[in-house]
Amino acid sequence: MRLPGTRYQEHGWEGVRKLLGGCSLTALRRCELDAVLDAARHAGLLDDYTDALAPVLYADARAQRSAGNSYGDSVGDLAMGLLFELQAQPPFWYAFAAALAAEHAKQGPFWRAPAGDALLRKKVNDMYATLRDKVDADNYTAATGQSCTPNRIYTYRMLDMAYRAIDSVFAGWPGTATQVAAILGRPADAMPIEIRQMKSVAACRPEWIVRWSESLERFTGVPGPLHTRSKRFASLANNVEKIGIMLAEIGAYEQLSANGDGAAWLYDAQASTDWLDDLARVGAEADFAGVADVSPSPRYAAMEAALAALRDEPLPVRQAVFLKLLGPGDDSYPDEWCSGGVLPTLQQLAVAAGVSVPTLRKRRDAVIAQLMERQNGADDE
Amino acid sequence: MNEARVHQRLRERLLLAPREGDRLVLDDATLRAALEGSRPLTAGDLAALHGSPLTLRRFRHLALARRAAAWQASGGMLRAADSGAALAPLVTDDGNWSLHFVPHDGGWQAILRLDPAAPFAAALLREGPLLHVIDGAGATVLQGRLDADGECEARWPFAQPPAPHFQAHGAAFTVRRTP
Repeated sequence: MRLPGTRYQEHGWEGVRKLLGGCSLTALRRCELDAVLDAARHAGLLDDYTDALAPVLYADARAQRSAGNSYGDSVGDLAMGLLFELQAQPPFWYAFAAALAAEHAKQGPFWRAPAGDALLRKKVNDMYATLRDKVDADNYTAATGQSCTPNRIYTYRMLDMAYRAIDSVFAGWPGTATQVAAILGRPADAMPIEIRQMKSVAACRPEWIVRWSESLERFTGVPGPLHTRSKRFASLANNVEKIGIMLAEIGAYEQLSANGDGAAWLYDAQASTDWLDDLARVGAEADFAGVADVSPSPRYAAMEAALAALRDEPLPVRQAVFLKLLGPGDDSYPDEWCSGGVLPTLQQLAVAAGVSVPTLRKRRDAVIAQLMERQNGADDE
Repeated sequence: MNEARVHQRLRERLLLAPREGDRLVLDDATLRAALEGSRPLTAGDLAALHGSPLTLRRFRHLALARRAAAWQASGGMLRAADSGAALAPLVTDDGNWSLHFVPHDGGWQAILRLDPAAPFAAALLREGPLLHVIDGAGATVLQGRLDADGECEARWPFAQPPAPHFQAHGAAFTVRRTP
């Protein structure tokens, strides 16, 4: 499924999920997971987790050049993207930590048992699946100017999945004749013309989605998404019109973007920062007439002051900050900083700075707290 | 020491980092007018923009689309009289585009190539507009969209080979986007 701006598409998600799951197990083994039992330690645990995950994930991500979506982002790019998003959106991590604590209440420290990996991986998957819907909802909003919720993205994904399921039932004709009849809502003795007309999501009727979901339990034993006990999509089951509009939107954009999808250089570092020049210009041209006290937003002013102050930090501290916020490898890093295309590790930077790793981390985190205007972020020591 | 780029990257990452409960705080008309300079933002608008990563992301999208749209056409001339030899690649005067010709199946293949260093390259690739190459007489030499490598290729459509054709049709060519 393609929608304007969205980057996490179904065909690449399997790879992204597995990459994040596998690397997360490695990273979590290096963290003190008992900290999930104390909510006051969740923020510190996120820090430990992302510190441990970044180098592992980056190394694996570089090996995963397979396409993650139809815009040229690789599976590795998309997985790294979610690592940065998680740092910026800690509530998703807090929900994950709370879910682990809830499991702990039921069955104790399952993560210490070898068999606990599967459950841990599932919780990691859940966290990133909800995070990607938030990321894509924001991407959609940025690309279209229309607000969009993670729930709506989740619904688009469900409808696209339902279309694919119906498509494969149709493709199974005549072996699937009874299910085809249930979907079409009429007896299907000869091959129905709808089967031949089903060439894209645009040809999928909303009524079919409802009937497919309604009858799914009869054919597979699993209730359809509109008819589960959780009732997440229950309101859609009675709203054929809304389903139709959303299907049409998926279909229209799929057609629009099918040709000339030349967006592979999308996040080219140089180009993507060009807009900052426009932002500076728009700021300089803004109309301050009648405003006595000209001040940009406090957040923006604090960020600019922190960016200026960053230049006075010793090189290893600056590099530690970039390592955390931009990752081990970034196109914008000067060549002389990198060996093998990556920045030194935190341990190497500590040696270069002549301080211990905890001391360097502390200085780095103080700088980051200022950059993110999150002065109270370091209260979890 | 060149840390300017990495600082810009960091500034971008910080500005766009999502905030809980954020929403679009300025409409497209306001953002577009500010980008075009036709109606400056008020002090309040600017503070609102700076304080909303989601609105900044919309601003980024519009700004980059505008940069892409800023390129309309590039023209070029043949540099030498026809020597009878195969035609060397033609380059537009601004240096952003080149046109290559490769023998293919007894005819020719024409390849339009965008210089990745062109100021509008990434934005144009993102937007993917339909491009036309026309000769000095206004006939279409090639049309299509750039692929991920910044190239677009098609069969040479004329009976004459490229060199004599261009000589006979104004010794010039233009690359243009469709409006």
